[in-house]
Amino acid sequence: MSQRSAARARATRSNGHREVGRLERIRKELPLTAMSATGTLAMRLHDLTGRDVLDLESLQELVALGYRAAEVRSAHKRGRYNVDDFGFDRDYTNALVPIFRLLYKKYWRVEAFGLEVLPRSGPALLVSNHSGVLPLDGAMIEVAVLDAVDRYARALIASWFGGLPMVSWLLRRTGQTLGHPDDSLRLLKRGELVLVFPEGVRGTGKPFSERYRLRRFGRGGFVEVALRAGAPIIPISVVGAEEIYPMIADLQIVAKLIGMPYFPVTPTWPWLGPLGLIPLPSKWRIRFHPPVRTDDYPPEAADDPSVVMRISDQVRETIQAGLVADLMERRSVFRG
Amino acid sequence: MRDLMAETKRVLITGVSRFWGAHLARRLEADPSVETIVAVDTHTPLVELTRTDYVRADIRHSLIGKLLRAMNIDTVVHAGLIVDPRRAPARVVHETNVIGTMNLIAACGAADSPVQKLVVKSSTAIYGSEPDDPSFWSEDMVRRAPPHDTFTRDLDEVEAYVRDFSIRRPDAVVTVLRFANVLGPGHNTPFARLFDLAVVPTVFGFDPRLQFVHEEDAVAVFERMVLESHPGTFNVAGSGIVVLSQAVSVMGKVNLPVIPFIGSELAMIALDRTVALGFSPHLTRLLRYGRVVDTSALSERLGDVVRHSTLDTVLAQARTRRVRDLVDRSSEYEYEAELEAFLRSRRAAGSNGHARSVPARRARRPARPRSSRTET
Repeated sequence: MSQRSAARARATRSNGHREVGRLERIRKELPLTAMSATGTLAMRLHDLTGRDVLDLESLQELVALGYRAAEVRSAHKRGRYNVDDFGFDRDYTNALVPIFRLLYKKYWRVEAFGLEVLPRSGPALLVSNHSGVLPLDGAMIEVAVLDAVDRYARALIASWFGGLPMVSWLLRRTGQTLGHPDDSLRLLKRGELVLVFPEGVRGTGKPFSERYRLRRFGRGGFVEVALRAGAPIIPISVVGAEEIYPMIADLQIVAKLIGMPYFPVTPTWPWLGPLGLIPLPSKWRIRFHPPVRTDDYPPEAADDPSVVMRISDQVRETIQAGLVADLMERRSVFRG
Repeated sequence: MRDLMAETKRVLITGVSRFWGAHLARRLEADPSVETIVAVDTHTPLVELTRTDYVRADIRHSLIGKLLRAMNIDTVVHAGLIVDPRRAPARVVHETNVIGTMNLIAACGAADSPVQKLVVKSSTAIYGSEPDDPSFWSEDMVRRAPPHDTFTRDLDEVEAYVRDFSIRRPDAVVTVLRFANVLGPGHNTPFARLFDLAVVPTVFGFDPRLQFVHEEDAVAVFERMVLESHPGTFNVAGSGIVVLSQAVSVMGKVNLPVIPFIGSELAMIALDRTVALGFSPHLTRLLRYGRVVDTSALSERLGDVVRHSTLDTVLAQARTRRVRDLVDRSSEYEYEAELEAFLRSRRAAGSNGHARSVPARRARRPARPRSSRTET
């Protein structure tokens, strides 16, 4: 017994040493090393091509990412962090945001319009079209909202994501939750911004030939929730996400086999393996439309299908019209 | 909800050989308004009880009805639900949970039964644990998928019997308490044993949201529900959540995601063979998908009775476990009727845990938690 406890005490001591030890120091210095390395790389690239391939802003973002990641990692190791009861971890999310901000600014060069309609406080239901095989449009809308009003939009995800390893906890950590009516109502009642894609997997899994044609908006469940919470509905139209993974076929047999709603075939996937996962650099436009008010109706209106479907159609038409207008403006898929 | 009132003077408690019944009985003893406490169990009480009448009986026998009438019991507290599979063989767990409850409630619902109040311990396990579950379960929500394991199925039956009783006896106060997983110094639960491992195995790719309730809070809620009249079903859990990896970090342990997400149950059974955690299939599912309940109904009814948040409960558990090696022997004091006089005469020395050296007790429960520690 005494031998064992002595061994345990030794183990604790050596653990304590290790924390302030070399490993920890290397980890702490890693962001700095990475920064100087990328700085050198940027200069070399500049000398080589005569252009700013890596600019200062993206560099800063990368460094911030490194720092935050190291910080979050060490806090998490000690269990010193807080997640809200949906599983949203603000620090963790903030550490990841720079990656998506780079995609937003540099890769897809997103232009956001109508950001002034976003409320700085209080609930709102953001309703968007859905496309692009992987739900990256959700991430881009969230970056736009975060940078505009410093608020985290909480997206509702398809329930089959909940059963996926890694993906399920990553989505929860970053503030997403399952598309259960109770969840969305609860979030809205707390005054959060909730992002929904009423098309669901019907939107992301549609073939390239049917791009920018909105699918059915479910049974208007999102309207019911907004009516119950008295939250305004903000329609959003996203142009550009349809082209990131042009889906030329859907292998339903494979999809059924592995329990996915669809199995996409794109010009690069699955032929090029993991390389096929790289999305195409289309140019995006995200347009936030004026809110549709629901507080004019009593909460009981949520049980009236005629009201629900009318509002649902109104939102759908707004988004479709927004898509058409932005597509008319767009001269090139990749250059905008 | 109708506001029924019923007096609590003559109480019958089941399951005093385990934590819940024993500690509840002890707290009720301290309340002068409770005239009589009758404890029924097949095993001796876990803690020393002073004015409780202990009846060694099996609630599976119809004798219980006679006891209710003879003692003119007005309140029945069914704390005998076995959640931890390590407590008894699977067959006994099923028999006690289902047949025991059925028989007890049949006795309560008999035409000449004096029972006015029924308080039943249940578990949040009744909601199941599925990937497409809502983020919060409130009391009126029902699991969509059928139960995967015997325990959850049994739990469904237990609550069905309770519902039948409340329909048959609309004048009686019927309270069902669905407790989240309990942690605390006096309690040896599957999660406590999991956190005691030096390296905690978790399911690869999953980090479930969990809730815990501190054992003090659990007993406090139970006590108030027995002494007051709050008909209905209530979730009992500490506020807030923890994710499993956070709980493991707080415990100062290493998170090892080695349990495969397909066939976790099988892997857990294999693990159980080596370290005896007592993780039955419903708990293994919990390790994958987690579960969080809405406790607003309880706090509306009783106010701030649950003092420890989920994170506080985990922190408290971590604190007590850190000094476990120092106070281990003295904290697990067990009551043995045969040793009562001996212990009384040597109260000062009695707290060093001589009770655990009684051979009969060891024979009944050979796999003590200590054995799992020695193996790690």
